[in-house]
Amino acid sequence: MTIGLNDYLMVAGLAFAIGFAGVLVRKNILVIYMCLELMLVASTIALVAFSRFNGTMDGNVFVFFILTVAAAEVAVGLAIIVALFRRRQTVQVEELNALKN
Amino acid sequence: MTTELLQQAAASNQWIAIAPELLVGCLALLLLIFEIVLPKARHDVIPTLAILGLLGIIGGFIVNYDTPFLDQETFNGLLKHTGTGQFMRLFFLFAATGVCVLGTVALKRQAMSKVEFFSITLVVTGAMMLLAQVNHFVMLFVALETVTVGFYILVSYTRTNPLSLEAGLKYLIMGALSSGLLLFGIVLLYGVAGNAAFAMHTANSMHFGELRAFLYENPDNLLASIGIVLVISGVAFKIGAVPFQIWISDVYQGAPTPVTAFLAIGSKAAGFALLLILVSVFDGYQSLVIKVLSVMAMATIIFGNVAALTQHNVKRLIGLSGVSHAGYLMIGVIAAISVPYAVGAICFYLLAYMLASSVVFGVMTHVSGDDDADQDLDHYTDLAKTHPFLGAVLGVGLGSLAGIPPLAGFMGKLLVFMAAFEAGLYPLLGVAILGVVLSIYYYFGWIKAAFFPQWRPPVFEGDDPIPEPARQAVGTSARVLLATAALATVLLGFYQGPLGQWLGLS
Repeated sequence: MTIGLNDYLMVAGLAFAIGFAGVLVRKNILVIYMCLELMLVASTIALVAFSRFNGTMDGNVFVFFILTVAAAEVAVGLAIIVALFRRRQTVQVEELNALKN
Repeated sequence: MTTELLQQAAASNQWIAIAPELLVGCLALLLLIFEIVLPKARHDVIPTLAILGLLGIIGGFIVNYDTPFLDQETFNGLLKHTGTGQFMRLFFLFAATGVCVLGTVALKRQAMSKVEFFSITLVVTGAMMLLAQVNHFVMLFVALETVTVGFYILVSYTRTNPLSLEAGLKYLIMGALSSGLLLFGIVLLYGVAGNAAFAMHTANSMHFGELRAFLYENPDNLLASIGIVLVISGVAFKIGAVPFQIWISDVYQGAPTPVTAFLAIGSKAAGFALLLILVSVFDGYQSLVIKVLSVMAMATIIFGNVAALTQHNVKRLIGLSGVSHAGYLMIGVIAAISVPYAVGAICFYLLAYMLASSVVFGVMTHVSGDDDADQDLDHYTDLAKTHPFLGAVLGVGLGSLAGIPPLAGFMGKLLVFMAAFEAGLYPLLGVAILGVVLSIYYYFGWIKAAFFPQWRPPVFEGDDPIPEPARQAVGTSARVLLATAALATVLLGFYQGPLGQWLGLS
């Protein structure tokens, strides 16, 4: 049995869907953050699979940009989460609702 | 790879074409160097330096406005310089100057480092300027993420204030979610357009020109349709269109006021510049794009206006009213598919919106206290009596946002609606006009709070009166900014003249 483009896309689509559902359903900010990263990684898998299938290198190069951007996002995001935890002593979304009319 | 190929690639790297962006970036680095070099007591020159540097770049940009690279692609097709792109670059430079002036006023009250704010604002500005002329998905993604990550930091800038941090976190989660959607859309489009099984498949499938040709040849591909919808969703988050508007009210409230202004003016305009480019790329899927955008525009206008009706916090109010403005602008984008001058109308609308918003946010910065998130309509009581200047410009700004003739906001709405009428978007126009009528209620509630005496509960002896933040005296640079923006708002309403011709409106 050979593993073709469709199998990779299936995995990528599944990982993306799991990540998306996780962001909407989960209550812990760190878990939500992991789900967001899962979405990015799912896109990366699909990108590499397409790149290989189409025979163009653009996709592989784009992956490096995505990784760099994701690293920057994580650096800023974790800093915000840590700073918020120091003030509020919680990482549960339902307790972070001080902003209201 | 032969040397000739390398030489060709190097020849298209026209660094001079993006000189303004490079200068903005260098200025950002220069400010950081000054922070290290200068003694702490002299750090107050850094904001001045940022504003003067920006004004210098604006001057240079206006002098060299007629770029020789117009309608050309540079950097191997990563960028394409267009007339709209030139306008938006200038727009972002002006917006950044306004934000820096507001930043000097607002940061005075915070015990925070005062330098990084300006550096990050400048970096974000440079990325927005690149975003207005992207021609390739890699460029789009990197520039958009530079803007977004910069905004994460700016929104949570007052890190001693839990409200600012909470706003930053909400923006972070929603922003990363929308980047994920956008990225998956890009990947699908890349994969489909490069697939050898389709006609017109291309090896350079992230390039907008080639992608456009491909989509034109293959008008009903399912994967490409999903990709297009995902990419539009990612951009819709930036402009705060329904159903991606849920972050708006919380983030606008928690962010420091100058950052809220930058989000409302810069981030939204960047989203629309991008949307205009993308709509022309997705030309082959017109009916799908029009359907998606029409539903979004209608929901956006209704939601923004209805939700703003009950708000008492002015930052939430201006955020939600900004959502409805995004809805009117989306009507303009739909009209731009068939009516060419709608693009000029959108540019004029954005300009009027920027002027009016800078005025309103400028007044908000002066009325708010140490806690930036707590800005109630009641704090505006008797503003016109105690600070006649602030009261007067606030009246002009809010009137322009509400679209009262003869102010610039009215002309902007009129032009966009005329374009929509010509394009035959009657149901959308009906919703938009209903929205404008509704918006007058909350804008005038604000004006009423500032201009007319209000009943206040009597304060008995021994009771403490309800605390209100002390209003700030207006400094020179802020006074110049507010007066110029208010004056321009009034003048542009009467006379568009060369600007109108140049935007192709008359």
